[in-house]
Parts: sequence; C-alpha cells; structure tokens
Amino acid sequence: MATRAQGHAGKTRRQDGADAASLDGHLNAAFDQLYRDHVDRIFRFAQRLCGQAEDAKDLVQDTFLNAYRGLDRFRGDAQLSTWLYTIASRACLRMRRKRKGEPERELSLDEFIPTSEGEFRLQIPAGGLTPQEALENKQLRRALDQAIQRLPKKYRLVLVLRDMEGLSAKEVGSVMGLNERAVKSRLHRARLFVRKELSAKGLDGGHS
Amino acid sequence: MSTPQRRAARPRPAHKHRGHSKADCLKILRGLSAYLDDDLAGNVCREIRKHLGACPNCEVFLASLRQTITLCRHVEPPPLSPAAKIRLRGQILKAAGR
Ligand SMILES: [Zn+2]
Repeated sequence: MATRAQGHAGKTRRQDGADAASLDGHLNAAFDQLYRDHVDRIFRFAQRLCGQAEDAKDLVQDTFLNAYRGLDRFRGDAQLSTWLYTIASRACLRMRRKRKGEPERELSLDEFIPTSEGEFRLQIPAGGLTPQEALENKQLRRALDQAIQRLPKKYRLVLVLRDMEGLSAKEVGSVMGLNERAVKSRLHRARLFVRKELSAKGLDGGHS
Repeated sequence: MSTPQRRAARPRPAHKHRGHSKADCLKILRGLSAYLDDDLAGNVCREIRKHLGACPNCEVFLASLRQTITLCRHVEPPPLSPAAKIRLRGQILKAAGR
C-alpha cells in the first residue's frame, strides 16, 4: 500500500511553487507537533542510551532531523513513538563512540553462569529499600549507569527499550528489526550482564 | 580441631543440592528472564518453581535478577530544560535548512 507515499513523492518534485509552499507549511506544522509531543520521551531514551546529557542531545538532534526529513514518508500504520524509537535506535547504532571501552561483542550466556557458590550468592546492595530509595544511593546509581553503558550497543538498546522504556518484546522487535525470540535472547543476556556488574560492585563497596 | 566457620568453602558439597545437579541449575538460569516476564508455559513454570523451592542458589540468583530489572525500570534521567528544548529545536531546524 505505497500509494499515499508515492503520491507524496510525486508532489515533492515541486514544479509548482504554491503546492510546495503549502506542503512545506504542512510539514512544518507536523514537525512542530511531533517535536512538542515526543522530545521529552526521546531525550529520556537518549540519556538512558548514552549515559550523559551532551551525547543525548546529539542523538535527539539526529533523531528529529531524520524524522523531519522522513516525515512526508511516514506511514501512519506505525505509531509515531515507535517510528521515532526506530530512527533514534538507528542513529545510536551509527554514532561513533567518543570514549573507548565499548566492546562490540556478543555476550555468551556462559559468561554469566555462576561457577561458584559465591557467585550464585552475589547480591545487589539494595536490600530492603524501595527502588527509588536504592537509586538515591549514588554509588549504586553510578554502578547501574556504568553497567548499562558497558553493554554492547545491540544489547543495550534492547534492555533500554524493554526494561526502561517499557516497550513489549514485540515492539522492541519491530524497532530493532528482530524477531521476538532474538529480542528475548538478547534481553536475557543484557539483564544477566547488568546483574553481574551490579552485584560484583557489592563485593568491594561497603558490605559488612 | 574446629575449622573456622566463616570461610568454609570446603569440599563438603557446599550446598544442599537436594536431588538436582548443576545442569538443572543451568537450565533454570537460562529461563529466568522468560520466567520473570511470565513468558513460559504453565508446566515449565511449575518446574522452575519447584527447582527454586529446593535450590537456594537459584532462588537468590532470581531475586538479584528481579531486583536488577526493578532498578532499571525506576531510573529517571533528568528532563530537558525548557530553554534547552527551544535551543535544540532551533538547531534541528537550522540543520534541516528551514
Ligand atoms: Zn539451582
């Protein structure tokens, strides 16, 4: 069903000045609304992915610029938010790492399987607190942020979309171009990775 | 001849692996995300629950995985300030040539 898109593409040749102007006006209004409605969500998403505000702003800029350019091709059959998540995720994958230390590697399940009693029993130092209270602990919060940043991007994206943005596995699949099975497999590894990083932190940081 | 109790990570089959093997634990660990996401068939769920009831190791592991997910769900990064929002919008439109 590409009729609508083709119709638009035909018009964007813009032989006709008046037509182009009205199309531009329409586009601008649509963009303004898109930005107004979604910038907070995309900025939050970007921060969760990038770990810091400046990179996140770059990602937001990239995302909305691409959205602006693609707006007349947007097919109404996807939710706008899903469409933006898709654009942002692609932009994130393209972004070069400014800081080193992100190994783009596969995570194997085996590396998270405890080999000793002690590893099994590692706990996250947040016992008895609500999640909000636990996250007020700067050390724990930093450990969590760092763990997420250390995830290879394709795992990080899945974890952030699913466990932080709250998308369903199916929605994550459509954003990332993966089937649900692949999403769930990556998600499990990503969670195990973060769990391990967090609980390992508990070892050296003040438990008695 | 009493050994210190603290660090007795000695041969005494350190844990009460009551009737299950390491391979059982491995299998359980592989399925824990699906278990937490309520993504498993009833009989598989029951099997996992049964194992967890008998294996403190896996139970503690599950608790820490659940906690990890809960923490992730509650991370709230600071919002974009109104001024930054306007500035960013300007940059985007400029880059778009508008
Ligand atoms: Zn077990």
